[in-house]
Amino acid sequence: MSSSERADLGRALCVITGASRGFGRTTAIEMSRLVKPGSVLVLVARSADDLRSLQAELAESEAGKAGLLVKCVVADLAQMEGPESVVSASKEVFSEDLDHIILVNNAASLGDVSRFAKSFTNMAEVDSYLSFNVSSSLCLTASILQAFPQRPGLRRTVINVTSLCALKPFCSWVLYCTGKAAREMMFRVLAEEEPDLRVLNYSPGPLDTDMQLVARSRTGDPSLRKTFSDMFAEGRLLTCEASCVKLMKLLLEDTYTSGAHVDVFDL
Amino acid sequence: MSDIHSKNPRTLGRGICIITGASKGFGHALAHEVSHLLKAGSILLLVARSESLLQELKQELQSFTEEQQLVVRCIAVDLSTREGAHETVMVAKQEAVNEMDHVLLINNAGSLGDISQFASFTDLDKVNSYLSLNVSSALVLTAGMLQAFPCRPDLRWSIVNVSSVFALQALPSWVLYCTAKAARKMMFNVLAEEEPNVKVLSYSPGPMDTEMQKDIQRLTGTKNNLFPCQESAAKLMKLLLDNEFPSGTHVDFFTV
Repeated sequence: MSSSERADLGRALCVITGASRGFGRTTAIEMSRLVKPGSVLVLVARSADDLRSLQAELAESEAGKAGLLVKCVVADLAQMEGPESVVSASKEVFSEDLDHIILVNNAASLGDVSRFAKSFTNMAEVDSYLSFNVSSSLCLTASILQAFPQRPGLRRTVINVTSLCALKPFCSWVLYCTGKAAREMMFRVLAEEEPDLRVLNYSPGPLDTDMQLVARSRTGDPSLRKTFSDMFAEGRLLTCEASCVKLMKLLLEDTYTSGAHVDVFDL
Repeated sequence: MSDIHSKNPRTLGRGICIITGASKGFGHALAHEVSHLLKAGSILLLVARSESLLQELKQELQSFTEEQQLVVRCIAVDLSTREGAHETVMVAKQEAVNEMDHVLLINNAGSLGDISQFASFTDLDKVNSYLSLNVSSALVLTAGMLQAFPCRPDLRWSIVNVSSVFALQALPSWVLYCTAKAARKMMFNVLAEEEPNVKVLSYSPGPMDTEMQKDIQRLTGTKNNLFPCQESAAKLMKLLLDNEFPSGTHVDFFTV
């Protein structure tokens, strides 16, 4: 263990999108264990029920009992009001003694992976996909950075949950690859612009989630579909917990190059 | 007999060529270059928002194109609307009554967007509007054309994505432009993977003497050493004529 590795993430305001399921949910739980009492988690998703049950689970946890505040924001990030409601909720719960702002841009969708690029003749479908997967993470991040500007004593960390698909094209995955490539560049620009900001493009690996279920059952390209279903059948998927632990390690060590693409298998 | 199978054809064949953003700058120069390389009976579709600028361009090409038996059509549409892409595809289908041996689609239309600090981009509608023109419309138009002119053995299919060094390199204050160019590069890479019978080329045209460069200068104070659009357009033509590039590759002006 590096001598400069922190034991915790400080007294933090942590915003996690797509927190209702999968990697986002696990991130909320792992974060709750690493932030100091007096910290706040702002959990964002569309499903009120799932968020509330996570909130209840966290309230019962050690962290919850030690004074972790959990706020749920039920929002559709692809609508103007979505990012706005997240920012106002965050401002409500912010207090001056917090020393770390963490934004986890995790919410994403696969898009219709059963189809190929030449089938995407519907402008509304493509626009809608980009709105949720690209625009909303730009606007949310920009709004959070504006709401919580740089000041001495305040660390700010922005995480983009990325993918190998940001770097490599995959047949029948045009929307997802395009969205991930767009986001990765977006956060690289942010890292270049703001040297005091810590920006991490974290690729969590093939996770055992609802998203993977869709990937292995609906992918249009037969060989890619087989690759995904073989991974599942052969037990080669990662649990969200296993990947999340690596993400937490990266954050605690805090030595990653801002803007870099870091893959779970790099660690 | 068509010479599309020849390693180095001196023409782009009897084709239908669609150029978006044809009214100015690089698109305008491309129209001139391409018109010299299309064989008799070819069709050149010029797409942009400005009817008057397109007609002016058509006039410029007229004397030459009449002689060449090249049909030139102007399509004044806003590609960021579904009607825009749809109409362009409809006109292409209507015009191509005779069998073509080449479909050449040049996705050139694009905009700079606001050059501004990352934290300023809080307006979802503005960002969506930018991505709609610069990313969505290229996919939708390309998909529409691929459906209108399905691949067949004697049909050469070429798609150009007018890219930028900023599809690869992150530049502070340029989040919209970099993001869209990176998105397009990946989008066309996926297309290249999926369509082995289509040659896809991402071409970064270099810093040219266009209105976009004037905007860049005005907004950022940077003065680049600029090249004439014609020079870059000619390099793109060489790449297409040689037709040796691997599909999906990203080529920069400075390496041609």
